[in-house]
Amino acid sequence: MSENLRQMLDLGLFWEYRSILLAGLAFNFYVFAASASAAIVLGFLAALARVNPLRPLRWLGAVHVETFRNAPDYVMLVWVHFVMPLLIGQAIGMRVTFAPFVSAVIALGLVYSGYLAETFRTGMQAVPRGQIEAARACGMGGVLVMRRIILPQAVRMMLPEAMNNFVSLFKATTIVSLITVPDLMYRVQMVTQQEMRPLPLYTGAALTYFVLIWAVAALARAGSERWRRKIWA
Amino acid sequence: MADPAGAPCVEVVDLHKRFGALEVLRGVSFAVDRGSVVSIIGASGSGKSTLLRCINYLEQPTSGEVRIDGEPIGIERRADGSERRRSMREIGRFRRDLGMVFQQFNLWPHLTVLGNVVEAPIRVRGLPRRQAMELARACLERVQLSEKSSEYPARLSGGQQQRVAIARALAMQPKVMLFDEATSSLDPELTGEVLEVMRGLAVDGTTMIVVTHEMGFAREVSDRVIFLHGGLIEEEGPPAQVFGTPRSERCRQFLAKLLH
Ligand SMILES: Nc1ncnc2c1ncn2[C@@H]1O[C@H](COP(=O)(O)OP(=O)(O)OP(=O)(O)O)[C@@H](O)[C@H]1O
Ligand SMILES: [Mg+2]
Repeated sequence: MSENLRQMLDLGLFWEYRSILLAGLAFNFYVFAASASAAIVLGFLAALARVNPLRPLRWLGAVHVETFRNAPDYVMLVWVHFVMPLLIGQAIGMRVTFAPFVSAVIALGLVYSGYLAETFRTGMQAVPRGQIEAARACGMGGVLVMRRIILPQAVRMMLPEAMNNFVSLFKATTIVSLITVPDLMYRVQMVTQQEMRPLPLYTGAALTYFVLIWAVAALARAGSERWRRKIWA
Repeated sequence: MADPAGAPCVEVVDLHKRFGALEVLRGVSFAVDRGSVVSIIGASGSGKSTLLRCINYLEQPTSGEVRIDGEPIGIERRADGSERRRSMREIGRFRRDLGMVFQQFNLWPHLTVLGNVVEAPIRVRGLPRRQAMELARACLERVQLSEKSSEYPARLSGGQQQRVAIARALAMQPKVMLFDEATSSLDPELTGEVLEVMRGLAVDGTTMIVVTHEMGFAREVSDRVIFLHGGLIEEEGPPAQVFGTPRSERCRQFLAKLLH
């Protein structure tokens, strides 16, 4: 076995720094949780706009989706962190800076709101018209129909796709080190600079991410499948 | 001003409905008295569904009026004679009094049978949960499905699903029930149980407007039968007359084709 390979598989170094590194992993979760929440809210609003009878709103929703869904995570991150504060600063005539964490949440929240909006919209449009007419015929108004008839079904229908969106979002949180959010990858780079032994550190990070994402996604899928199956026998 | 006491339960006045260039209803008028059953028959595409959907404003009529107990659904007439189009919210309030049963059942699959039936009484009429549950159970009893109340719709047969849909409409305690070909998407051996329930409602004095291809049922249960053709009422009268001695040639042909 080559020396390189042995080094790569020797995770002792990763283990040695575990508390610092795990604290970094926590940042991945914070970024994930905050940007997922933002993406859900924004994505839902954009989806509502896209299924709205009013043309200007539909158009606005489409622009939102196309803009953010087609922006690369990395470009968006850099743009939000370095360019957006300048533009805002110009507009209000004050110096503005974003904390790295804030930029990360804005950038990822926006990008993934584009994906989630489409997921939401597909789910909402999959509810058959007849069911909505039945609800209207019972005297339900638009809000009740949305809340009691469309959304409960749309959420179930969109879950597998939403799950994919969230997995992608979690993976995307690993690039926030580029704007110095102190996540796991950021800390791996720091430790690497001290120890000059990158292989076990990066391998450890890769394994940690893989096991984590795989396990959580599998659990979430199994749980949601059971819930979905109850209705669509 | 309309006088609710003397007015018919449902009154359709010179109803027109146009989809783009296609004029589906070209001036339909009729009235349904409280406790009576009116059947609407006619060839496919003659506008039967459109007429029923205009009655509860699932389709907005192009012109004409629908009145419930003398009160027009779509417009408000003020004492000074001025008129105002009603909002969707106001129209929703009229819809509570119009129970609708669709050809495709249209149950809500994420709710149990009982959930489907209590939903509107709780959310729309604002009944307390316990009272709504009691009401829903009574309605399910009426369609003989009490034992299925905690089942999901996907686990029921078509006939059972349609009976749940009838219970759901009944639970709003509507003034009139609208049936749009309630048995047309059912296997022949399942139509009987649904017609049986509808017959029961008629016997109990429910006001009903029934679009149907079941001529035997229409003949037996209706007080009056309307034959729709080309967006107009071509023949109208008691079942014995419409089915026995129709004046309209087209009506005669339509019936002959069904019997052949
Ligand atoms: N939303 C709509 N947009 C355009 N055309 C419509 C619409 N709804 C109905 N039509 C047309 O109106 C005509 C009457 O349709 P309708 O469904 O009322 O007929 P029907 O008598 O109920 O027929 P069937 O017995 O097949 O149910 C048809 O030509 C149909 O294509
Ligand atoms: Mg029809």
